[in-house]
Amino acid sequence: MQEEKKSAEFQEKARETFSAERREDYAVLVIATIVVLLVLLGVIDKKLISALYLFKY
Amino acid sequence: MGVGIDLTDVKQWPRMFWGFLVCLFLAWLVLQYDNYVIGDLHRGYREASKVLQGVKEGKPAKTYEEYVAEKKESYKKAMEKYEAGLEKKKPSKPFILKQNDYDYIIQNKDIPGKFSFGERMNQFQLTYVAVLLLGGMLIRNTIGIPKFLQPGTVAARPFIKPGIIILGAYYMWSDVLRVGMIGLVLVLLFVMGAAIAISIWGKRAKADDGLMGLMSAGVGVCGVSAAVAVAPVVNAKPRDFFYAIGTILLFGTLALFTFPYIGKLLGMSQPVYGAWVGTAILNTAQLVAAATWYGHEALLTANVVNIVRIGFIPIIVLWCIYYYVVRPARQAGESGASVNTIQVIKEKFPIFILGFFIMVTLNEMKFFSPDVKDLLGRDIVKIFMAIGFAGVGLNIAFDDLRKAGGVAFVIGIVAATLKAVLAALFVMALGPGPFIIKQ
Repeated sequence: MQEEKKSAEFQEKARETFSAERREDYAVLVIATIVVLLVLLGVIDKKLISALYLFKY
Repeated sequence: MGVGIDLTDVKQWPRMFWGFLVCLFLAWLVLQYDNYVIGDLHRGYREASKVLQGVKEGKPAKTYEEYVAEKKESYKKAMEKYEAGLEKKKPSKPFILKQNDYDYIIQNKDIPGKFSFGERMNQFQLTYVAVLLLGGMLIRNTIGIPKFLQPGTVAARPFIKPGIIILGAYYMWSDVLRVGMIGLVLVLLFVMGAAIAISIWGKRAKADDGLMGLMSAGVGVCGVSAAVAVAPVVNAKPRDFFYAIGTILLFGTLALFTFPYIGKLLGMSQPVYGAWVGTAILNTAQLVAAATWYGHEALLTANVVNIVRIGFIPIIVLWCIYYYVVRPARQAGESGASVNTIQVIKEKFPIFILGFFIMVTLNEMKFFSPDVKDLLGRDIVKIFMAIGFAGVGLNIAFDDLRKAGGVAFVIGIVAATLKAVLAALFVMALGPGPFIIKQ
């Protein structure tokens, strides 16, 4: 009985985890869109990326 | 990918903050190393070798000023050719040695030690990928990570996904379709083949249905994500889940650290290697890491094969519903057992890959200039990958790998190894041609 309850709880958790992954997919789509827009608008450019690197030859 | 952590739950953000910050810092630190040692010093080694060759051949040594002027002049000419449309590819800025290094080569007829070090690190493929993964694993399993940092390190792993999406700026649809079609053959042959073989083998070995359902999804298609998607369908028990995840992670970790060297040993070109790891490694994060480790071209090919593969998650769920639920019900004489195919596809399709397709379409429409394409596809992808790999490395815990066990371990490891060997033979027989992504 307890085993069954544990199993049901676990499956519910797996379902919840998968739906969290689905929401995560939306979040990464938003992040990628913002970054691409910032690049197209020129906010993120080669100079900014280059400034991230402190050690250069 | 971020199992156990909901990135979109704002209430969880304070829990994730410090761990995520650690991953950001680690990624930044290791990218400094990569940019200087793997980038600058490696280029320095090649330039120093050219200068040294001239000296050894007895050519009269130029003064430093003459050397610099010659380099600048040759770049100017290459740029003029590019601007006149005679050259398609924009020439990259020349690497000019500093005066003290140039003088050292002329006087000592030797390459400065720092350049040799950069070359050696390159030979051992100790790029940012290797350092983040090995370093992260070492930290996790020696000094450990305090509990309050753990949620943030888990939250860093999905940052590989925006990298996968943005990498789409590099592709044309013709390449995606060509490599994707062969990827589809690879997925059908090896990935679905492995999933079906494990299900049948498991039944014959009288292993638990829940466990084997998880194994066929995880080992066949997409590691942890597929196992999570399938778990409720096959009524998996918590013990099954940890056995399966342990086996999947153990194989993935072994593959991640050995495949780049096996690829080199077998003389695989980058596109061939990309196709191989895209088929043989079970988990997106590990696969992307192993491909990036090998080189940019390998990543471009592996990314397409991986997208085809993870697109199969709904198919594997459908297979599991049929094999473990519908079929036994029908055999037991129960009527009415059926599968709602559209519902399963809608629920289980990994929608983030749509972002990749949008990026490919924008590139096809010439939306990105060559400079923007390069910035997106190389520099920004690298930053996202580094953050993700920091999370992956810090979450390779030997304790998790030890959870692999029982019949699942034997069946999973044998099937995954067989799949990897057969896939390697297949892609090597095809050669690089079908897998090349034009840049």
